[in-house]
Amino acid sequence: MEMLGSVVGVIMGTLALILLGWLFVDSFLKWLEPYRRADRLLRTVLTRAQYRQLMWRGYVDIKSPCDRKRVYRVPRDPGLVGMIEQGKRKVDLCLQPLEWVPGADIVVMHKLMIEADEETYLQTANHFTPKCISEW
Amino acid sequence: MGLLRVISKRGDDRVYWNEQDALTGDVEANAAIREAERIFARERATGATAYRLEAGKPVEKLEQFDPQASHIIMVPQVAGG
Repeated sequence: MEMLGSVVGVIMGTLALILLGWLFVDSFLKWLEPYRRADRLLRTVLTRAQYRQLMWRGYVDIKSPCDRKRVYRVPRDPGLVGMIEQGKRKVDLCLQPLEWVPGADIVVMHKLMIEADEETYLQTANHFTPKCISEW
Repeated sequence: MGLLRVISKRGDDRVYWNEQDALTGDVEANAAIREAERIFARERATGATAYRLEAGKPVEKLEQFDPQASHIIMVPQVAGG
């Protein structure tokens, strides 16, 4: 009888551990899902070269549709977007969505805004001189 | 085939529709277009901006829902940080 009790105890303990593990994996996958979806969208919106640049260098350069000498350096991680003209970082720009979205979606947002409506993008963003930021 | 993607905290929400089927009077296809149009209007009302992506063409800002668009992405309202 004692033997049977300990066997049942082991089985119940094992089942409880399996259930806890399953709950942990399930909640982890649910937490991961927005990031996976955002990455899929990012791959759709960026060219292969742009995606590679973003992964390897940590930023992607988006060409200005209005000024051939200007590019916007959009970081993969949270940070300021650099406006680069003729190789020099002229201005740092800060623009963010009012609601939280995954980081990859923020890169998508910058690319779409710059390419479709650069003027509004520049009007909406806060401008900082790169020197001022580096002094912080 | 059209696709509307709404960027959100969930990554993106998607709605598909088939304009060709809708033109032949398919009830489900028409309902899908109406649903996409409703979501488009709802998101615009909250300050979201819509962009149209077509292969080989520059990205275009979209003021009104276009069932002929193959890919629309809606970005939530943004502000200077």
